[in-house]
Formats: sequence, C-alpha cells, structure tokens
Amino acid sequence: MVTDLAVDVGGGLRLKNPVLTASGTFGYGLEFRPFLDLSALGGLVTKGLSPRPRRGTPPPRIAETPSGMLNAIGLQNVGVDAFLAEKLPELRAHDTAVVANVFGETVAEYVEVCAKLDGAAGLAAVELNVSCPNVACGGMVFGQDPVALAEVTRACRRATRLPLWVKLSPNVTDIREFARAAEGEGADAVSLVNTFVGMAVDVERRRPVLHNVSGGLSGPAIRPLAVWMTWQVYRTVKIPIIGIGGILTGHDALEFLLAGASAVQVGTANFIRPDAAVRVVREIEAYLDRHGIATVRELTGALQDGVPR
Amino acid sequence: MPQDLPAPVRRNLDLGHGNFLLELHAPAHAAEVSPGQFFMLGVEGTDILLRRPFSVCGARDTFADAPQDAIQILYRVVGKGTALMAALRAGATVQALGPLGHGFHPPDPGTLPLFVAGGIGSAPFPALAKALRGHARVPWMVYGARTAADLPLLDWFRDHCERVEVTTEDGSAGRKGRVTAPLEEILSAASPGSLQLYACGPNPMLAVVARLARAHGMPCDLSLEAPMACGFGVCLGCVVPCHAPDGGTRFERVCVEGPILRAERLAW
Repeated sequence: MVTDLAVDVGGGLRLKNPVLTASGTFGYGLEFRPFLDLSALGGLVTKGLSPRPRRGTPPPRIAETPSGMLNAIGLQNVGVDAFLAEKLPELRAHDTAVVANVFGETVAEYVEVCAKLDGAAGLAAVELNVSCPNVACGGMVFGQDPVALAEVTRACRRATRLPLWVKLSPNVTDIREFARAAEGEGADAVSLVNTFVGMAVDVERRRPVLHNVSGGLSGPAIRPLAVWMTWQVYRTVKIPIIGIGGILTGHDALEFLLAGASAVQVGTANFIRPDAAVRVVREIEAYLDRHGIATVRELTGALQDGVPR
Repeated sequence: MPQDLPAPVRRNLDLGHGNFLLELHAPAHAAEVSPGQFFMLGVEGTDILLRRPFSVCGARDTFADAPQDAIQILYRVVGKGTALMAALRAGATVQALGPLGHGFHPPDPGTLPLFVAGGIGSAPFPALAKALRGHARVPWMVYGARTAADLPLLDWFRDHCERVEVTTEDGSAGRKGRVTAPLEEILSAASPGSLQLYACGPNPMLAVVARLARAHGMPCDLSLEAPMACGFGVCLGCVVPCHAPDGGTRFERVCVEGPILRAERLAW
C-alpha cells in the first residue's frame, strides 16, 4: 500500500506530509542541512522575521525545566531583507514548503514585512507571530486581545496573497475566541500553540534564572495543554489547524491530528535531535501502515468517541 | 561536518570529588575533532530533555592508554544531567552530536603556549597539548581550583607541560590564592606578544585573564561555556555580547562563533 501523507492546510496549500518545523526552533532551515534532508519535511517555518534586524534579549536566555524549557530570546533575527537576500534563495533549492514567520511591534510593521514577502518566489505561506511572550511591544500584545488580533489579521490579509496563518497564544482565558477572530478576518489556518509564559528561580542566588525574568515554556510539559486547545479550536472554526506543543515522536503528532489538527509543527525536539521532524514523518507513516489507513487526512479529528463538530 | 551518532561508552573513570573522564567509542568523531571543539551529549531514556555541551578533552593519541577511535570527555557532576552521566557504565550508549564550534587558534611561531585553567576548565587542554606537540613550544600551565581535589588530571599536565603552577583557594595544593597571581608574574616577566594564552574556567576568571592579557599585550583564546539547547546555532540561547565592526556590540553564539573566541572580541 502506498501511504498518502499529503495534507491540505488552507488557502489552496497542500503539503507533502503533515510535519513542519516550528518557528524559533529551526533557524532559517539551512542550519539543519548537515542533519536531515529538508525535502523530507512537509514544510519549515522560519525564525520570526521583523522589518529590521533585532538584537534580542541579554543572556541567560534559556533554562531547562521539568520536561520542558524556558526561553527568552527576544526575537533576535536577521530582518526580513536579509532573509530575502541571503536565506530564501538557498532554501528554494529544497522541495519543501517554506513558511515565513512574521513579527512586528505595530500593525504597520506586520504589514511592512508581509508586503515585502508577498512577491518573493519560493514562499508557501506567512505565519503571523501574535504570541511571542518575550518582547515588550507587539507579539503577544496582539495575541491577548481579540480586537487587536482581528485588526492585525485584517491588515495582513490585505498585504499578502500568500496563505495566511495566525499563530495563537495559549496565554488567554479562551483560545476559541482568538481562533474565531482570525478566521473571521480571512486567515487560512491557525497554528497553536506558542509557548506558555513561565518563570524559574535560582534559589541560591535568589534571582530569576532568565535575564528577562519570564520566558516561554515549550516541550513535552505543555503537550496535554496544547492537545486540549487543539480539540477546543477544532470544534470552533472551520479553517485548518496546525498543532504545536512538545511533539517529540510520531505518537505525539498523532495526538494532535486526532484532536483536530491537519498538520503539526515540531519545535523543541529539533534542539534535542536535529533529525527529529523526519523521524516524526516516518513514525506517522508506520502508524498508517499498521492501521491500514490510506490517507493521513482521514485522521484529522477522527477520535472514535469524539464529539463531532 | 558534524554528525549525530550513537557512541558506546568504553569507560567512565571516577577521578574523585565528582570529576569523571568518559571515554566513548566514536571513530568518526575522533577523526574529525579539533582541540577546543565540543559535543552535545544526550543520555537516552531519562527525564532530562536537553543534551549538554562538553569540550573534547582527548581524541586519537591524546592519552597513551586509549585507542585511536575514542574520544574523552572530562566533566564534573554539577546537576541532574552530569549526575546521569556519572552513572554510565561500559556498554551503555550516549548520543553524541559533533564536533561543533570553532577550535583553538594555533600559536604564532615561536610563542610560548600558556594554559590558564580554573578547576574543570582544564577539560580542553589535554587535546590541545597533544596537538601542539612538534608544532609549538611545550606549553606552560597555570591551574587553579578551590581545593586540591578539584584539579583533575594534574599529574597528566605535569607530564605534558614544561611548567605547571598550581593554586588553590584553601591552600591545600600549590600556592594559596587564585590563578591570577602566578599568571600576573609570568606575564610581567615576558615581553609583549611572546606568550599565547589559552584560558578556560568560570566567566569571572576569564574576564580577569582577558584583562591581564590585554594589559600585557598577549594574544588570548577563551574557551566559553553557556547554557545551550541545540549546539548548532538555532536556539540562540548561548549568546555572549561581542564587539561589532560598527563600534557597537552584538550577541554572538558560543556554539557557532565560539566556543573559542579571541578575548578582545568579548564586550564584558
């Protein structure tokens, strides 16, 4: 049996398989060439791109926590112009969907980056980062207010013809409200979740471990929270969901698919095993074979006793 | 080119006081690695999520009693990750990603290599001492720690360096005090540019070594350590502030631009 791994993620975009790599965990993709074949991925999502290069937060920036890690990088990135000039041309050589993650401090900055990316050859989609917890302006400010999220989505929708994804913050009372706002303003898909805000304390020195005091929690620690949010959002919106949160293995990815995701992003696992995302693809394929399932698309939301949407 | 390979443990020598020398069967890594580079090591089947970075201590012919296809890692138990490593026995397997980062710069012809080590900061120097052999003068070393038990491989260094000055903060071995005292004496007696310093240890020690090297006009390589999740430039967790060409500063990655950086690049 030939397993069909292709998935549709909205806006006419079809991925060769449901596994992407998450923004902030995969650099600009090129760094991983020694370790895996980028063409084996359904897609990759770049580090958040801002209108101009960003310096980022002073160290310490990361800390391991039980089954997870905290990070406060502060969106250090090369800026959209350097990405287009130096990174994207090399990425085009690989047969995978390149998704640009977009960050701004104001609506105008989000629009500026989207507009610059709009004409670029070799981009499959744009993902709005309205959920970074580690910057003073922008980011999660938009992701914690449904009115602001609607505004930035609407503005970016006008600025790009590319499929538009909105990456949601879990640091909200009811994530469904935000998914609805994104859908209502023309987003083609929602990706969820970004990191949870957390803090670790060095008790010997009585200081926060991170210079930024708080950071974003990722890794297996957040997986059940993210699966639950995926399930909630699946029953709320009609646009595809891209599930994110502590996926290390094919089993973990399948949890998200069955809870309603059409595709997934592998994040922290890329740090631990640089070929993790390709292993996830193979393990999903093995699961389909084992269960005699013809296409991975059948799995989305396919909990046996699940409440239909 | 770095590779991510399973590496069987050949032995895990307990050097006492929480210091261990781990020897891995790693032919590809042994063939590739240069002194100063590092590996991300992961112990599978544990609840530790991230790998930990370790400088290469030895490879190929560094240690006379080890095979050519092995690498050695000198480490100290400081937390959960290293405690799990200490429990490894021959036959266990670790996942080893590397070699990573930039190694030490070779000394200018005629200069005297001088190692400055703080405790477990001696880890990268056996490989460097062996690599310099036949290509540079026999190195000197200034080796300091809190107490005598925190000076792993001291006998090895005495055999492979022309001169070793030891300091301990409690006076239990060598001179009582810190490495900076004998370092300053050696620097003061030498003409500018005649020594090549190589330093590894806690950041406050490195900052003092960098300042002294500059004051005495000596080139100085620092081997830096920082918390890092990936080891190959994508997590951006391990940055240090460095001078930028435009006169300002910017964050450089210890894992990619380092872990060996010329002291004058750092903006501490």
